[in-house]
Amino acid sequence: MAKEMVAMLLAGGQGSRLYALTQNLAKPAVPFGGKYRIIDFPISNCVNSGIDTVGVLTQYQPVELNNYIGNGQPWDLDRLYGGIHVLPPYQKASGSDWFKGTANAIYQHIAFIEKYDPQYVIILSGDQICKQDYNDFLQFHKAKNAEFSVAVMEVPWDDASRFGLMVTDENDKITEFQEKPKNPKSNLASMGIYIFNWDILKKYLIEDEADPESENDFGNNIIPNLLRDERRMYAYRFDGYWKDVGTIGSLWEANMEVLDPENSGIDLFDEDWKIYSRNSGHTGHRIAPSAVVEDSMITDGCDVKGTVKHSILYAGVTVEEGAVVEDAVVMGGCTIKAGAVVKHCILGENVEVGENAVVGEHPAGGGIGDVAHVGPGLKIGANAVVGPTAKVYEDVKEGEKC
Amino acid sequence: MLNKVINNEALGVIFPNSYDGLVPELVKERLMASIPFASRYRLVDFVISSMARAGIDNISLIARENYLSLMDHLGSGREWDLARKNGGLNVIPPYAQKTIKVYNGRVEALESIKSFLVSQKEKYVVMSDANVVANINYGEVIEAHKKSGADVTVVYRKQEIPENFKKPLGTNHDLYYTLDVEGNRVTQLFVNSKRDGEVNFSMNIYVIERELLIRLIDEAYVLGFTCFERDVLAPQIDMLDIQGYCYDGYVAFIHDMKSYFDENMRLLEADNLDALFGPGPVWTKIRDDNPTRYIKGAKVSNVMAADGCVIEGEVENSVLFRGVKVAKGAKVKNCVLMQDTVVGEGANLEYVITDKDVTITSGKSLVGTDSFQVFVAKKQTV
Repeated sequence: MAKEMVAMLLAGGQGSRLYALTQNLAKPAVPFGGKYRIIDFPISNCVNSGIDTVGVLTQYQPVELNNYIGNGQPWDLDRLYGGIHVLPPYQKASGSDWFKGTANAIYQHIAFIEKYDPQYVIILSGDQICKQDYNDFLQFHKAKNAEFSVAVMEVPWDDASRFGLMVTDENDKITEFQEKPKNPKSNLASMGIYIFNWDILKKYLIEDEADPESENDFGNNIIPNLLRDERRMYAYRFDGYWKDVGTIGSLWEANMEVLDPENSGIDLFDEDWKIYSRNSGHTGHRIAPSAVVEDSMITDGCDVKGTVKHSILYAGVTVEEGAVVEDAVVMGGCTIKAGAVVKHCILGENVEVGENAVVGEHPAGGGIGDVAHVGPGLKIGANAVVGPTAKVYEDVKEGEKC
Repeated sequence: MLNKVINNEALGVIFPNSYDGLVPELVKERLMASIPFASRYRLVDFVISSMARAGIDNISLIARENYLSLMDHLGSGREWDLARKNGGLNVIPPYAQKTIKVYNGRVEALESIKSFLVSQKEKYVVMSDANVVANINYGEVIEAHKKSGADVTVVYRKQEIPENFKKPLGTNHDLYYTLDVEGNRVTQLFVNSKRDGEVNFSMNIYVIERELLIRLIDEAYVLGFTCFERDVLAPQIDMLDIQGYCYDGYVAFIHDMKSYFDENMRLLEADNLDALFGPGPVWTKIRDDNPTRYIKGAKVSNVMAADGCVIEGEVENSVLFRGVKVAKGAKVKNCVLMQDTVVGEGANLEYVITDKDVTITSGKSLVGTDSFQVFVAKKQTV
């Protein structure tokens, strides 16, 4: 029984620009939006698009990610045939390799894809926040009789040189690919989401692997090779919400955008396109009589006695009396002790902020500015001060400044 | 987790329809076990989770009627880690087999599943109703039962008899039991006592050896008896060694609308919430709601809310279930609003209980009192 399309989700990214948040965690497993992790978005998109076979390619710090995905039950992907599978690099009879590049990661798991004998393979990225209908994308791919399609976003011309760009003709056929060019000829940026005909992908993966000069990367090798051979390549325009949450600033900003779905375009309240996640199992949250809650999102298990403004509290966060949380992303299990002030920052999971401690501050000029962050599981001592540019990797002692 | 029973030592039997008659409004389209409670649970979640945590992984719910909502809620049982090849969670509806009729009382209910009981391997049976909300350590109860060598262990609680039980019987004919206990030995079992003051009030939770249970039920059934306590235990109080197990943890009994309202509201106090959920997690069906959103202008004080709510108005002293929407300018005070209740702009609710999927249109005002709450039935629009 063949599957029409199998999804391969690249989730090996280290996310080094998330600093302390990804010390022990792969970037796709970073919590997002109150009760999700980044990877919930592509996985839920798959399920909502009717794709029931997903391979997740892991490499960096896979433990928590493996644990999170488990048997795939939260996404309805515990299937007899298909389902979700975590695919690490592995040792073979002759040689073993870490994934060398994105293309090599898929190459190493050709056998997994073959098992489902698909017509199409969609390559997804595990570090973007995006709600996208991959079935719509597939219909485009079929309608164009394409061999390769890439999802693209229109970006402002001024920013275009930061992206991989697809130059297309009037039929959206790709004529040229520019990787971060000085003089962009297009403003259609690749989202790193590709649909391939499987026979084509397989052929190019095998050829690419045989090339010792290759970096084994989709953007740098596979796509240029397809272009060289004048394959039928098309650009599929996507105009919904899309965000690469690769930096502390962008991760914070995307969380803040969740608070403003009317203007930001990222709506988690859409019944027709739910984002699924593994449940925390907490009871309902509690807002005490002493609490002030404004313009915020609060998840199960929170206990709010202080002030929370324009912030997201993930599952099981405690905000004690007199504490103030403003413009902050507070991940699961954190405790903000009495009198502490937490502003314009990201707290990783299970952080404890001591009494009257201060974490972060609003940037003087407004805007995103600097966003402080504290790595998961750390303790900020009483009366300590964590400055607005701090990247906190270790406990901060009582009264200390950093 | 402490006090887990050894695998396959005990099986659970739950009576999901017990005391349905006490809350007719709430069981119109469901049964006692599936009444929503504490912002995101159903009553039965507490007993199932407690049993599952004690290692009881073979649980049967003998349904009498109106069990669709129960089956929907429980599904395969995987939320409680009870989707198992052997045992697991089973809902047994009437007519599932030739012998399984709509039963009256526990004797008939148990007799109807006798072939199931006979074929099981567990040594003990733990029985409970669903209207008792508690986080009981069943491992401890079973240990106490084994240690005492009793024939039957009954869990009770020191409390007053609920007022509505003492009123003359109206439309409900439900029985409740109080005990005289000497040492731990139960010496008397009273049916529908009207005694004032603190009594030993039975929680209707029993531990008994499976084979003894089958024998007792067989004997009672052929004599036309229906009620386990009145017809089996009370007459044999001297012959059977019945031990009491006094439970002093947090308990919420649902025995009328007032208690349903009060017990929800009681959980607004952090100490009570901790007491109920402290002993261990309570699992429920997952709905995959987004986090609850408090939009600019929302004012909230002393509220328990589940995920999926959108609050733009004022909410005070209330319990909100999953997916409740309170629009701009609306005021909600001292209310229990069940799943997906929508409160329109400028509406005013005080002392109101809404069932699932209720819509209160803009500008409407509904006001009950502390002693009598306005109830809006499922899917109604006001």
